[in-house]
Amino acid sequence: MLIEPLTLGIAGVAVLAVLVVIGMHVAYAGALVGLLGLVMSIGITRVIPGEGGWIDAFLLGFEPGIGIAGTIPFEELAHYSLSVLPMFILIGYMAFHARLTQGAFYCMRMWFGGMPGGLGVATVFATAAFAAVSGASTATAAVFSRIAIPEMLKYGYKPGFAAGVVAAGGTLASLIPPSGILVIYAIIVEESVGRLLLAGFIPGILSAIIYAASIWVRVKLKPSLAGPTLRADWGTKFKSLGQMWGIVAVVCIIMGGIYTGWMTPTESGAVGAFVIFCLALAHGMTWNQFLHGLTESARTSVMIITIIWGILILVRFLGFSQLPAEIEALVTGLDMNRYWILLVILLMYGVLGMFMDAIGMLLLTLPLVQPIVLSLGFDAVWFGIIVVKMVEICLITPPIGMNCFVVAGVRPDIPLLDIFKGIWWFFICDVLTVALFVAFPGIVLWLPNQMFN
Amino acid sequence: MNTADPPADSMLLKIDLAYHRLEKALNYVAATFLFSLMLLACAEVVARKLFNSPIHGQADLVEIAIPTMGFFGLAYCQRVAGHVRMEIVVNMLKGRAFWLFEFISNLATIIICGLMIYGSYYHFLRAYEIGDSTMDVELPIWPAKLIITIGFCMLMGRLIISFFGYIQMLQNPNGPVYAVPRSPDIEEIAEAEAMAARDAISDEDVEEELERESRIGSRQNGERR
Repeated sequence: MLIEPLTLGIAGVAVLAVLVVIGMHVAYAGALVGLLGLVMSIGITRVIPGEGGWIDAFLLGFEPGIGIAGTIPFEELAHYSLSVLPMFILIGYMAFHARLTQGAFYCMRMWFGGMPGGLGVATVFATAAFAAVSGASTATAAVFSRIAIPEMLKYGYKPGFAAGVVAAGGTLASLIPPSGILVIYAIIVEESVGRLLLAGFIPGILSAIIYAASIWVRVKLKPSLAGPTLRADWGTKFKSLGQMWGIVAVVCIIMGGIYTGWMTPTESGAVGAFVIFCLALAHGMTWNQFLHGLTESARTSVMIITIIWGILILVRFLGFSQLPAEIEALVTGLDMNRYWILLVILLMYGVLGMFMDAIGMLLLTLPLVQPIVLSLGFDAVWFGIIVVKMVEICLITPPIGMNCFVVAGVRPDIPLLDIFKGIWWFFICDVLTVALFVAFPGIVLWLPNQMFN
Repeated sequence: MNTADPPADSMLLKIDLAYHRLEKALNYVAATFLFSLMLLACAEVVARKLFNSPIHGQADLVEIAIPTMGFFGLAYCQRVAGHVRMEIVVNMLKGRAFWLFEFISNLATIIICGLMIYGSYYHFLRAYEIGDSTMDVELPIWPAKLIITIGFCMLMGRLIISFFGYIQMLQNPNGPVYAVPRSPDIEEIAEAEAMAARDAISDEDVEEELERESRIGSRQNGERR
């Protein structure tokens, strides 16, 4: 044999890293390395030792290697479970125009406005509510920058603080279903989409409560951060609930549909999208807005589907090379507490998140990281939630804390630096939340396990 | 980066714009499939739950619709620089060096696209010759597989236009940028989100919201007094 398959696998990962760093699209870089890796892996096993060289190996492996890669876009993607992704993406784009943000913010303001830092708390809970119809963090941050920041500034909130609340609240959309990123994780690690979506629910709500508690504490300690509060009577509070019905309906459809098994995730997503579509129409969505939302949904779907098949070709090659199994054996052979290894993995995500966006980071690393995590005895669904929480942290930390950029884009009057300063409390909250999930995995796993019992 | 207008008589620009029209049209087809899929899934729920008669073969239809959604917009997505990539390193480069790396990436993408055209075409051909069909209602599978090959061919066209576009940029690195995808930087993405939010929630809406707040505030205060 010219070379061990394992060495080929390591070389492939190195080439992939170079291609990604020089700016090749992640999907195509993964597919290229995967395809050529497959060709060579097959080729080297067919070359007669001592007689053939690299070129013979390439020629011998060419047809079967490309044959395998050519089947992947259809065979791995044309599955019913994948069809949920376009539906969730569509919901996100339509929710923009359905005026759900205003209703949610109004209602939460009536209920929580009386607390210290009440408007901030209300903003966090309203973003959580909106997250239940949208899976897009940046879009959530953008709409709430429009709605909640003027309100907070009017009541004398410090601009950096107000912007930080919105940027952090926006991240909740990644966790609370419908969440596109959880679906992608489920497809790559071959877990149940429904289980992952349900698993995100309680951790998402808990993250919101922790954010809200931190706002309350901060304003208690330093009242100058936030201006006077507004108290509503009980009649107004209950009346304001009426403004939430659109969101409540969609949550019931999606969560209820999946939990009871009445509807598949795709159907839940489709019915949810239809309800949001009708609401958007009722609130005067124009034809151009509709067309724009639909073509953007199509484009985003293409982006996600492309990166999935690209990485799946790579995964097939890595499987041939035995690299994941070798790394797994290496890590399990370490005489080290498994939580230390987990910490190293999470820190790695923290660093990678500074250079890459969430989807690229997850898809590039999961083929190697996932087997390690499983072999350490962690649960795949639980790890999905932890990873998405890490992604959320990356959304608000420099240098590419996307949500902070989005808030600054909507509010050019608030300097980016102030927003990043306003975020660090929420960063601590997120780290604590991850620690909480690690210490008590039951928080994550209780709801999805209920579904199967 | 130079944002001046490209030369209007450029052949490359004309081809780029004409091809982009075709890409957009195919993306609309994909978008139509997406919307139809939503309606189909809703219809299935209504038919199954309310009338207890599931739509025959809808799961099969959904499965073979996915390639259309994933591949008809492939070239469009490439042109509008919609794919995930890491730009932090190349963005540090200026002028010709930057365009050289873009050219290399594009060339590598041409290779993988060519290989995938070959691989997916054989996958289609086998399905066509055997007459492969779906599990439930036995719809033929080959059209869905052919769509994947068509998507790759469209992408190839786009990549070849970009190939000449990058050569043009290498010759004239500080001239106007055209006929190549331009990745938006992080500020531009943020600005696009902000624009969308402004479109969805107008200034009047924001005003109205602020007023609604004050109305309640004053009413409450009045009651307390």
